[in-house]
Order: sequence, then structure tokens, then C-alpha cells
Amino acid sequence: MSVAPLITFKAGKCEVDESTGKVRPQPTPGYVYLYSEEDLMHFCWRPRSASLDEPEDDLIMFPSDGSFTPYQKKQVNGRIFVLKFSSSSQRHLYWLQSKSQSANGDPSHFSSRDLKIGQVVNSLLQGEEVDVQQAVAEMRSGHPPNDDDDATMEDVEGQGDGGAGPGATGGDIRDEGEGAREGGADGGRASGGAMDAQSIIQNFIRSMPGSAGGQGGQGQQQKLFTTLQDLLTSASTVAWVDAASESTVDEALQFLPPNLASLAKDDDDDSATTILDLNQKRDLIKRVLRSPQFSQSLASLTFALRDGGLPSIGEALNVPLQNGGYMRRGGVPLGGGEAVEAFLKGVQDLVKGDGDEDDKMETS
Amino acid sequence: MAEDAAAGGWSTIESDEGVFTSLIETLGVKDVQFEEIFTLDAEAIRALSPVYGVIFLFKWLAPNAKDRSKPVDGSWDETAVEDHGLFFAGQTIQNACGTQAILSVILNNDTTSSPTSSGGDSSHERIEIGPSLSEFKDFTTGFPSDLRGEALSNSQMIRETHNSFARSSPFADETQKDPSQLSDEVYHFIGYTTHHGNLYELDGLQPHPIKHAECTPEEFPDKVIPVLQKRIERYPQGEIRFNLMAVCGDLRKKAELFGDAGMLEREKRKRKAWEWENSLRRHNFVGFTGEVLKGVVRQKIKEAKYDQWVQDAEATTRKKLEGRQKRGLGAEQLQE
Repeated sequence: MSVAPLITFKAGKCEVDESTGKVRPQPTPGYVYLYSEEDLMHFCWRPRSASLDEPEDDLIMFPSDGSFTPYQKKQVNGRIFVLKFSSSSQRHLYWLQSKSQSANGDPSHFSSRDLKIGQVVNSLLQGEEVDVQQAVAEMRSGHPPNDDDDATMEDVEGQGDGGAGPGATGGDIRDEGEGAREGGADGGRASGGAMDAQSIIQNFIRSMPGSAGGQGGQGQQQKLFTTLQDLLTSASTVAWVDAASESTVDEALQFLPPNLASLAKDDDDDSATTILDLNQKRDLIKRVLRSPQFSQSLASLTFALRDGGLPSIGEALNVPLQNGGYMRRGGVPLGGGEAVEAFLKGVQDLVKGDGDEDDKMETS
Repeated sequence: MAEDAAAGGWSTIESDEGVFTSLIETLGVKDVQFEEIFTLDAEAIRALSPVYGVIFLFKWLAPNAKDRSKPVDGSWDETAVEDHGLFFAGQTIQNACGTQAILSVILNNDTTSSPTSSGGDSSHERIEIGPSLSEFKDFTTGFPSDLRGEALSNSQMIRETHNSFARSSPFADETQKDPSQLSDEVYHFIGYTTHHGNLYELDGLQPHPIKHAECTPEEFPDKVIPVLQKRIERYPQGEIRFNLMAVCGDLRKKAELFGDAGMLEREKRKRKAWEWENSLRRHNFVGFTGEVLKGVVRQKIKEAKYDQWVQDAEATTRKKLEGRQKRGLGAEQLQE
């Protein structure tokens, strides 16, 4: 199965500040693209540095569930589209990164070409048949070739400079055939994507502010490194439990639901206090380590680390991290395999600092 | 309208007997459980009686039928809701469809479902659904199906209960697909039950309930099997990704009634296992993972095996990735 986009155009993502309602465009140059697989439409966004099969967002769209329309509710300094769902209150905002065609320099002005892009996407989301090549040809006719340069867009909070500075490279709207030129496009891509840092922190660290900045910088997703599931194999974890002292075992048990002890016992003893001996405690931990729930959580945690959650996870676990888990230039957390590697290194440093396990005197 | 997706969002939940049973118990339903059926056999279903219906889970395929004027099997019954009080809700939220299918069976077999309108002879026990669901059912009486669906997806009580069974993933936005899910396939749940002397298929994505045959509760196990078989045959051969669950009375009660000590023992043990799994599902594992990771790292350093350990893990990850690429899957999904 190869991903052959039906339409691709330059666009960036926007964050909405829940408390103020302000729309903040994210600077990462990217593409919105749509592809169809098994009669389901996929709406995707990826940074331009990523390949076709590594979108950050890959949303499966039920026919007519989604709509893609110009976002005209607020004073903004750019051309924003909103992806809405009739089945939920979810919304995703994207800003067009191609150069604005407005005659009077109004950065929020949608040219007919811009509107056409929105219409094509919206029609595809409704499940309509769209002759994309035709539509693209119409868009292109009558426009000078240098129209495809990038725009920049100021944050709405900045005072209205309207950034229409031409940016970088050309090449913009692509139609069906060009998708294949995106090297290595293999993969019906799993649609797990889209977890921005804001979502990651939600529900967990309530004291942390919502946003840990954007996703890991470009190029970082390239490094594979490994995952928590592949590190914490049964062999490794069981070996640890079996060799662990009672105090270590007790400490680990502190981090598990308290009712597990009574559930673990085979007999009908439903007494409120269940005392387990050391072997039973070890067995309980091993049972947890082998559970699908624990494996799934390792996968989720790995994903979170790769997706910008490193600083907050490091903080939550008191794991020392260089630059707090952010890139040297600040503001953006490490991502991809580098983040997992940094995390592991942090744990290593933490452990070395603790000294020998048997000498551990601190209480937590 | 809230911009915050999580406030209106429904998480995905597993199709699991323990999850579903716990879910309805939390909603206030009494003495009902879910039991997975592994063979398409009427006796397997009958053995669990009283059976209120079944929930069928399958990989969702876009309907091939260009003819949208009728369902592929059976016929639309446009009067069942109004004339016979059938509870049917249109689906508005993808992730809610499990709970929706469950409620479509439960709320057609509860004590407020009139025995006469529900098929006459009720030697068939009715379900006690408790105050919250009674209130919900009352509130939506007379609503058209799309409005009922809206009411369901807007019900904070039902949504929060549903979401409490989401996979233990403290970091994911509730409304996003779980990254640890192995596949990107979309699954759909539908319910089958009897009502007013007929066998109905209740699918929120369909415009109406679908009537398949005349059927009493006693005949249900026999009549539902061929309907399910026809459905399964729509899929390419070898596509066995589906799951069938019976909605039946609490088997512990049945065991007690029959004086079957062995069965009672088994059922009690099953319940303990469910509780165990649900405890783990709700649990935030980040702290525990930290402890485990520290312990393993410490041990590897002590045994001078640290570098080897990391290298082995990297090799495993690489191999898995290559395997996935060969099968045509994406690079970013590093789960398994």
C-alpha cells in the first residue's frame, strides 16, 4: 500500500489557547495532504522535513463527518482554515504558508486560489468525487510562478505587522501524480499521530502549564534509537525483580494500585488487609510486568517522550536532563529517538548518583 | 461551545467482557454481564440464558452498496421506534460506538420496556438498569433517533463512565487514537436483540433499526446465528477480525441457582481477574515505570552489561521496523 496524496499544499498548524481563545500559528513549515485508503479519507499534516509516511497528524475521516472551511471569526494575520467534525467538538486549525496573493497586502485575505484549495479539501471530506487535477490546473492558470513562495505569519498577539515576507522554496500544490516522487512512500500509515505537547501533559501533571512548546525539532525524528518496550523486556525486568531486595520491592509496590494485593491472592480471602511475603510480592510485580496494560503504557510513554513530553516526564520522575530536556536553542523539547536516548541517559546518571542499591538510605 | 476537545471527547475502549461488565455496573445496571462467544453456535449462546442480545464488533468497511435505499440484509423498520418504543440512537461519535451498542441492547430489555410491546411472553427477565439510566431513557422518550444519539454523546455521566475504562495512557489526548493500538483499522460495534416479536440489528450508523426476522427471546440464539453468518460472509475469506459478546444475566447468580459450586468458583475467579485488569487499566504507570527502569539500569551497570543491553534493544527495534516496512507499514509507530 503506498500513500498517494490526492492533494498537498503548504500549511502550518495553529494552536488555540484554551483560556484566551487566541490562535497561535506554529512556525514549522509543513504540508497538509489527503489520501484515501480502503474508502476512508485520511487528513494529514507533516513537517516538510518528514517523509510522506511520517505525518504528525493522520486523521481518519468518515464521509461527511469533517469539514474544512475558512476560519473567519477572529482578527488574524493570515489565512486560516479550520477542520471541524460533526461527531465531536474537536477542531484543528491550519494556516496557509504559500505567499499571499492579496493585492492590498491584507494577510488574512483568501484569494480565489486559496478558497479553491479549501473547497477541494472540503469536497473530498464529504466523500464527493473531485477531479483534483482539473481543480489544480484551474488554480494555476493565470498566476505567475513566483506566487508559491512562503509567507510568514506573526502571532496574533504581536501587533499587526501582517507578515507577508516571502520565505523559501517554490513548488506548492501538487496533484496525484507527484505524490510518488516523495521518496520512500511506503506504508498505509497508522493514524495514531497528532499528539501535540499540550495533549500530552493533560490529565497527568496538573501543576505543569499546558504547553511544552512544539514538537521535537526537524531531523530528530530520523534517529531511531529504541523504545521502552524493547529495553524493558521480560528477561530484564524479571531478572531485576528476582534480585531486588525487599525494600526495593516494597518501594516499587508503592507505585501500583493498592488493591492489587488482595486481587492477587487466589483464595477467597477478602479481608481488608492482605499481607504478602516477599515471594508473593515479587510474583505480583511480575504479573504486572507481563500484563498487556503495562506493555501498552510503555508504548504510550515512549510515544510521549518522542513527541515532546521529555521535559515534563523528566521532571515528574526527577530524572536529570541536559537543558531540562530542551534543545540547546531553547523552547523546543527534544524529540524522536533522541528524546528517548536522553531520558535513558538521565536515568543512568540518576542511578549512578544514588550509589549502590544496598546502600540506599533515602526514603521517598 | 468549548474549544477544548477533551471536554467533549470520548476515548477508545477495549472490547473486553470485563470492561463492558464493569462499565454497565458503574452505570447502575444490576446482574448483567458480558460473555465472549467464540463459536457461532446457538447452543453456546443459549447456555448463557437469559440472553438479552449480542454485541458484534467488526472491522468497518465502507458500504459497497451503491444502493443506499436499503440495508444489505434485512429491512429498515421505520415504525419500531415510534410505535413500539424501540430504543434506537443514531451514532454521532465514533469512539462512543461500543457503549452505544451496549445501551441499545440493555435499554430494550429493561424493566421499563413493556412486556407486551417487547414480544409477549416474558418468562424473559427484565434488567434493572438503575436510576441514572432510567432517567436517561425517560429523558429521551419520544426523541427521534438522531436526537437520542446527540443526547447520548452529550451525556456527561455516560461519557465519563465510558472514558474511565480507556487504556492507561496518561499522556494521550482522550480523543486521539491510542498510539499503542497496533493497527489503524476502524472497528465498529452493533447490537442485536429481540423486540416486539422481531429480531433487530441496531447500528447507529444506519438510518433506522433493521428488522431481520420474527423472533421471540427464546428463539434468539437460533435466529441470530444465520444473520451473523451472513454478515461475516461479506468479508473477504480469512478476515476473522471480529468479536462477539453475549449480554446475559450474571452467571454467578445462575450458578447459585443451580447449586453448581464449580461454576460459581470459576465465575468468581473470572470477576477477580476482571477487577485486576480494570485496576491496571485505570492506573497511571509512569511512576512504576520509573522504578522499574531505575532498577534495571542499576542492575545492568552493576553487571557491566549496560552497553550490550542498549545495543540489543536497538537491534530489536530496528528489526521490528524493517519487518513493518516490508509489510508496508509506517515508521513512526514504534509499538508492539
